[in-house]
Amino acid sequence: MTYNVLSRCLQNKERFNTHSSTSIKQDIMADLGIKSGNQVLIVWAQPSTPADLKQYAEEVGATVGADGKVSVENMERLLMSSHPASTFDFVLSCPLADNSSIHSLETLAELARVLKPGGKLVLEEAVTEAEMHPVRTAEKLISALKMSGFMSVTEVTRAELSPAALSSLRTATGYQGNTLSRVRMSASKPNYEMGSSSQIKLSFGKKTTKPAEKPALDPNTVKMWTLSANDMDDDDVDLVDSDALLDEEDIKKPDPSSLRAPSCGEGAGKKKACKNCTCGLADELEQESKGQQKTDLPKSACGSCYLGDAFRCASCPYLGMPAFKPGEKIVLDNNTLTDS
Amino acid sequence: MTPVIMSEPTLLVLYGSQTGTAQDTAQRIGRQAKRKWLQVQVLPLDNYNVANLISESLVVFVCATTGQGDAPDNMKNFWKFLFRKSLPAGSLSRLDCAVLGLGDSSYPKFNFVAKKLHKRLLQLGASPLLPAGLADDQHDLGADAVIDPWLTSLWEKVFALYPSLAAVTPLGEDEPLPPTYTFHFLDDVKEDRCRISTEQTVPSQSHPFPAKLVSNRRVTDTSHFQDVRHIEFDISGSRIQFGAGDVVMMYPCNAPEDVQQFCQLLRLNPEATFALRATDNTAVPARLPQPCTVRYLVETYLDIAAVPRRSFFELLSTFATNELEQDKLKEFSSAEGQTDLHSYCNQPRRTALEVLTDFPHTTTEIKVDYLLDLFPEIQPRSFSIASSLKAHPNRLQILVAVVRYKTKLYKPRQGLCSTWLASLDPAQGEVCVPLWVKKGSLRFPTDTDTPVIMVGPGTGVAPFRSALQERRAEGKPENVLFFGCRSESKDFYFKSEWGTMMEEGHLKLFTAFSRDQEEKVYVQHRVTENAELLWDLISNKHSCFYIAGNAKEMPASVCDALKDVFRQQGHMSTEDAEQMFAAMEKSGRLQSETWS
Repeated sequence: MTYNVLSRCLQNKERFNTHSSTSIKQDIMADLGIKSGNQVLIVWAQPSTPADLKQYAEEVGATVGADGKVSVENMERLLMSSHPASTFDFVLSCPLADNSSIHSLETLAELARVLKPGGKLVLEEAVTEAEMHPVRTAEKLISALKMSGFMSVTEVTRAELSPAALSSLRTATGYQGNTLSRVRMSASKPNYEMGSSSQIKLSFGKKTTKPAEKPALDPNTVKMWTLSANDMDDDDVDLVDSDALLDEEDIKKPDPSSLRAPSCGEGAGKKKACKNCTCGLADELEQESKGQQKTDLPKSACGSCYLGDAFRCASCPYLGMPAFKPGEKIVLDNNTLTDS
Repeated sequence: MTPVIMSEPTLLVLYGSQTGTAQDTAQRIGRQAKRKWLQVQVLPLDNYNVANLISESLVVFVCATTGQGDAPDNMKNFWKFLFRKSLPAGSLSRLDCAVLGLGDSSYPKFNFVAKKLHKRLLQLGASPLLPAGLADDQHDLGADAVIDPWLTSLWEKVFALYPSLAAVTPLGEDEPLPPTYTFHFLDDVKEDRCRISTEQTVPSQSHPFPAKLVSNRRVTDTSHFQDVRHIEFDISGSRIQFGAGDVVMMYPCNAPEDVQQFCQLLRLNPEATFALRATDNTAVPARLPQPCTVRYLVETYLDIAAVPRRSFFELLSTFATNELEQDKLKEFSSAEGQTDLHSYCNQPRRTALEVLTDFPHTTTEIKVDYLLDLFPEIQPRSFSIASSLKAHPNRLQILVAVVRYKTKLYKPRQGLCSTWLASLDPAQGEVCVPLWVKKGSLRFPTDTDTPVIMVGPGTGVAPFRSALQERRAEGKPENVLFFGCRSESKDFYFKSEWGTMMEEGHLKLFTAFSRDQEEKVYVQHRVTENAELLWDLISNKHSCFYIAGNAKEMPASVCDALKDVFRQQGHMSTEDAEQMFAAMEKSGRLQSETWS
């Protein structure tokens, strides 16, 4: 569900019956400590009833009020959407009873990144008694959270998985066991940013971070600028010497070593094989009439050569030729045969 | 009620682009902004009303550096304006900005435009969000090596400025943005193709003059490796005026077989007629007739013979349903895949049309509305005018070398415009080429006494023929021409004409035929041999010195030879010779127009 759809739902203020077995409304305020003015991120996964998600988001929204903000994100999309770092007071991940996804280490790291220092994460995930990939034991989940940078990791509750979640999990992951339960974990992000002790504000002139606080413009400045702009064709004006603006640093050219690609220096790039290529020279093809010179026409063993240069491997003898139909007879004269 | 904040801040992306790369980058930034639900406008700098700059809050400048550290043509007016001493220091104090430069560090004035712009904006009180990005063609991975991380950094800073943007899920990369235009196909409209403008204005880029092709002769020997044409147009009734050193501009067309192949691949009916509508506040391209046929669009407007850029693959991948093709297209769109893209596309100069033949399934799924987003507009080409109105009234002549070379692709590469011009045959029926004229960079002295010295090997001689014809008509007899080519018998352009001028005393000609003897003889050698004459002309008679032709080695070699003349004949030190050379450049007595 995109944010736009959800926002329209929220604006509608319609009440839907909740289908979930656990009532979350009371939890939010009591257990989790979400306050008015908080920024909250809700991460959801399949399966999910849109109505449930909407109602959940609405309830959180009611708690944070007009000064707060609720963002909703699908777990698959989370990594792609690059929220800015340290934005949210709370992250609620897979809060709906029907959600059954497993949080990858990357996802956990991303959740840690977008949380403010001191921010809190509450997630729910299916765990198993005996480790059976991809489902983890509760202990492993706790380790994963710690490895991703969280502290004060606590198991809050444990309950049964709903049937919908269970079957979805089985389908998605191929899990075969039956010692599943659903656990809620809470954790918090340490009160300091990783890798730095404090933010050093680099000044690039008179910069403020809030757009609202731009300096007022002097009316004379406006007049001068506008007058000048309306007089663009006037060639007879004094110009600042642009060369004088540059200092020694500017005139320096980049260090040649900084211009090299990080991996191997070969201009040709790595040799790549096409999907199952074992290209090699093979038997002669049958000749057309007109007494053409018999040439050793290469025949591909993998069958990808006909596709075009984009899919051919680096040693394909058809490189440089356009794509052709499989089985089509292409005459390669000696000029075009490339030696691998 | 939870607030739902749609993005209110607007982003302005202003660019200065010579070859279209900076424009492409600017449009890429625009698309990224749209995916983050930002209101955005992308414009060339000279199309933007600079009076509004004082009230802008967020602007990204994307500027290429071209020529000798110069600003591209479509930002020249802005550039002159920005450096006016009269602009008050705090003018741009409300502006948060960022500067991204495109350049090539093999040039001494690497990214000078971006560097100067950044400093000048600071001087005028603007607040840069981050240091200027200085993209470098010399990097193994090209300009993207700098651009990609710079853009990541830019968006971080923009999100920090406008946190409301962070709350909104951006549009996924897999989903295409809405197209810039929509095609409305019409059933039954007769389209009037040959629109001769009845306007009384001087022909320009938006209203070119359809000049009749009079003659198109090959002037190199058939055994010579290159086909070079002397082409003449009839410009009667056009009100076109030009002087020596000016250039003619024209839009080339795609070859008919390419047009046909394109329409077949995309399953388009070339005769179908459509009207274009813009989906946002962009203007519909002025040079497309409304309504228009598919054939006209593909023949004259879509640059299908250009080497496609990364953005082409990004957009193409959104149409793909075939897994093999989609994977490959996504790979070519990714940062990691740029080296591979470079060796697949850029190195062998693979055309967009050729790429489409490698991705046949995806090509059939291209939605026609996206055609103008996929393919850039064919760029006009310029040629130095090789004739003078004073010698050939109502005529315009050019000298065109047909570009043709081999890369690792089986089919040889061809210059779009030169090949198209070479294919035009006035004997086959009336051919009209829409063209217009622009002032060139070469200016010749107006007074009768100042001599001119011209060095123009190969097709570089074109503007000098124009100058010599003009000066002859104006009674200015002191002219020296250094001409070089491979062989007296094969590519000695305008040989008979020079003979006449020399007999009349209007011309001293020195030739260098590089392959007519064992050792290579070039124009710079002739410059050195005639040091005494040159020194007399330059130091005693204030002669102007001109260089025109191929940009690679020749201009530097000729300049070196000239500096040697100063040293020897003027008995100067190397530094003094350099200074004299620089002074001549600065005062306009030393000019060059070179091309690659």
